[in-house]
Amino acid sequence: MIEKINITQWIIIAVSLVAAPFIGALIAGLDRKVTARMQGRKGPPVIQPFYDIIKLFSKQPVALHKLQILYAFLHLVFMMLVVVFLAMGQDLLMILFAHAFSTICLVLGGMSVRSPYSRIGSLRKIMQMLAYEPILILIIVAIYLQTDSFLAGSVMSMSKPMLWSMPLLFLSFLCAVAIKLNKSPFDVSTSHHAHQEIVKGITIEYAGPYLGIIEIAHFYETAILFFIIMMFWQTNLYIGFGLETLAFLAILILDNTFSRLTTTWMLKYMWSIPLFLSIANIIWLWSK
Amino acid sequence: MEITSFNLLLAVLIIAPVVFGVVAYLSPDKLRSMSIILCSVIVAAAGIMITIKPNNTFELPGSEMIATILEVAIVGIILYIAMTIKNWLILLMSLAQLGMIVAEIILAQTGHTVTHSYDFATDPLTKILILITSIVGPIIAIYAIGYMKSHQEHAPPTAASLGQFFFFFIAFLGFMNGLVMANNLKWFSFFWEATTLCSYMLIGQDGGESRKNAERALLINTFGGLAMVAGVLWLTVENKTESFEGLLAAKAVIPMVLLCVAAFTKSALLPFQSWLLGAMIAPTPVSALLHSATMVKAGSYLVLRVTPGFHDSPKVMMVITIIGALTFAGAALLAVTQSNAKRVLAYSTISNLGLVVACAGIGTPLAYAAALAIICFHAISKGLLFLCVGRIEQKIGSRDIEDMGGILYRMPVTTSVALIGMMSMLLPPFGMLLSKWMAIESTIRSPLILVFIILGSALTVFFWSKWIGRIQTSSYHPKFNKESIDPAMGFSLITLALGVLLTGLGSMWIFKEFLAPITKEVFAGRTDISEELWSVFNAAGNFAAVTLFVAVGIAFLAYWLLVWRRFKETDVRLPFLCGENAESTVYTTSAFHNSEGIRSYAFRSMGDKIENSWSSTTYLKNFISEKKVTIWLNLIAWVIIIILLGEAHLL
Repeated sequence: MIEKINITQWIIIAVSLVAAPFIGALIAGLDRKVTARMQGRKGPPVIQPFYDIIKLFSKQPVALHKLQILYAFLHLVFMMLVVVFLAMGQDLLMILFAHAFSTICLVLGGMSVRSPYSRIGSLRKIMQMLAYEPILILIIVAIYLQTDSFLAGSVMSMSKPMLWSMPLLFLSFLCAVAIKLNKSPFDVSTSHHAHQEIVKGITIEYAGPYLGIIEIAHFYETAILFFIIMMFWQTNLYIGFGLETLAFLAILILDNTFSRLTTTWMLKYMWSIPLFLSIANIIWLWSK
Repeated sequence: MEITSFNLLLAVLIIAPVVFGVVAYLSPDKLRSMSIILCSVIVAAAGIMITIKPNNTFELPGSEMIATILEVAIVGIILYIAMTIKNWLILLMSLAQLGMIVAEIILAQTGHTVTHSYDFATDPLTKILILITSIVGPIIAIYAIGYMKSHQEHAPPTAASLGQFFFFFIAFLGFMNGLVMANNLKWFSFFWEATTLCSYMLIGQDGGESRKNAERALLINTFGGLAMVAGVLWLTVENKTESFEGLLAAKAVIPMVLLCVAAFTKSALLPFQSWLLGAMIAPTPVSALLHSATMVKAGSYLVLRVTPGFHDSPKVMMVITIIGALTFAGAALLAVTQSNAKRVLAYSTISNLGLVVACAGIGTPLAYAAALAIICFHAISKGLLFLCVGRIEQKIGSRDIEDMGGILYRMPVTTSVALIGMMSMLLPPFGMLLSKWMAIESTIRSPLILVFIILGSALTVFFWSKWIGRIQTSSYHPKFNKESIDPAMGFSLITLALGVLLTGLGSMWIFKEFLAPITKEVFAGRTDISEELWSVFNAAGNFAAVTLFVAVGIAFLAYWLLVWRRFKETDVRLPFLCGENAESTVYTTSAFHNSEGIRSYAFRSMGDKIENSWSSTTYLKNFISEKKVTIWLNLIAWVIIIILLGEAHLL
């Protein structure tokens, strides 16, 4: 497989690895700006996330023990691997597994320290995974049912936008994205607002450059999620971009209109309405 | 009968463990350990040698009579046990079994001819099972030497002798080897009953309460035995054959379904899971043996053996798949609610066996390869995990997961090994994940099964990561505690851990070099397998697993360069406790070390008062009750079993 990669593919991989965190950071900056405007504030500059990262890396590296940091590294590397796999058009299920592994590393890192907030945050993170993971798998199933292939590259072979055949799955996917980005009402494991009951939750015990690593991984993840949203209109990238903007605004409105709800509610909600919608979509595709 | 090296190996694999078992029974303690180690080496060597040799068959003159006598004898022993423990249900079922065996004898006497086939044979599937039994099994036996030494010191007075324990323990391996090599169903039934008997004796080792659980195991497995003998009788009468070869050639659905029901009891699939959970009361090496090298593997082996011939009966196969898928998701759900380490392991085994059966039922090349992969990888990982839990339990005196915080510092070797074992159950690049990946890809065309498997996988991740998170929780320690391990136990732990790591590293290679060719052989000449299924199968083999290793390697290298080497004690901070942390920042004080493992966080609240708090792991006990869910799952599973019998026109 490796030897079959030609020079263009290597360039694509390298470019996406470099570009993804910048895109993710810009999205995060826009997120803060737009949220601030929605709340009637001025908000930080759009490139604030870059300043944050620079500051984090200039701080003294402190930690609770060594093992904790290994998980931060694994978290980042596997998030990057997801980008590589996507750029190579690899097997979608494997991409999903790499992504899940990355998230689990964050969870295990949070659980490796004797901190109650971090532990509760980690447990909630697993519950979040439990809530959105089935939907991601069902999206892959839907793609397979239409293309007879698990390869990410096969999406491009579809003549019509994916949104036409998977509208309900798209809605469910937006919920999954909201969970992944820790937006209210799903921001149970950690939150960008530090006034929550478990403080910073899963990442509370990371500081300085180690927190920086996790933030960069988060930028990668954001970029990945928005790339997938764009893929729902893979035939025309401009429309895909428009779709992305709409999804971005929808998630921000959701974030600002809701407050955090409980983990149990999230699990019950996700395993009822979005899961039901997704299965309905699958059955429709299957019977076609 | 000429004596070839193949015949000799066959005899060694089956008879040597039994002989050495007798030696272990008769000899004093020191000699016993010696004989167990010797037997382990011999069996492992024979197992490897027979796998290297080409496939072969073997016929025993007068085998018909010998097998029948042995079978009658073993059913007789179970009858005798049923009478002594006064369990009339077991007695009744054994009597029915005996009746059917006698009917077979009478049939043979009255001139009912049956096509004969060879008695024993090796083929790729057999070889995989032999490798598991004769390598993982002996490693567990060696561990048992060390474990039973300290177990016997605290054992209740009702416990049986060590000699008896090791006789059944080692003989089990021989019976299991015989079971997987038997082609003649008479021999197969004999070995099947023999493993039932062994498990009964081993589960009841400690006497008292454990006898009850052993009785349950015997009851359920005798039910399975009854189904098996009935299936064999049917095959003999209707199809005039009594071998697996004949069964597959005749495509006899009814015997196949009966054999599958027998397999479900042995593999502890829903609704027969209760005996395996009860078996947890036995000494840990027994659990390890039952879960990884023997017993439950016999069931999944049988399903994999009989299902490939029945693609003409899609409904029957579908029902088998549903039972497997239901078990996979149901057992994973129940595992989430458990804080008892051994029960989590047991549910996880049941769940994985369900997945094997589901894959066997799907019956596509990729599914078949996935089933084989799960059997292999699961055997090593689960064996290792039981050995670890056994040691942890002996050390901390509890099998509650919540008590396992801080053991990374107290017993670093065992805990690291346990972490390897657990991670191999769900994380890339280990084999279990690859198998699950193949399983999902192969169920893609049947949405119902797929939903079960997706939910099951999600729940599996949930309960494993909870546990991993708990055992690696620790404070900072400049140096790890030195751990003293009994040499026998240490040997087994390290060997199996290496096995897990190596098979994990080579999982894609194992798939390509061994499992894929075996699958191709099994499915050769099958016209019903579409091009699409083969292309998915081939695509799976082409996956660049090496990228996963590269990723892990990069992460570890960067971590080592940037963190591990530079990390200073002055960089260490205490956790944030929303107030003042009562633990001293000087982590080298003895007070700090002692706090490890205590189930609390101490912090200073108002007026310097020290408060303790504790955050437990989620077990979802509020909305999933093990009892209620079990009742419902069993009910559904029984309905499916009845549907299965109905589909085979037995009802």
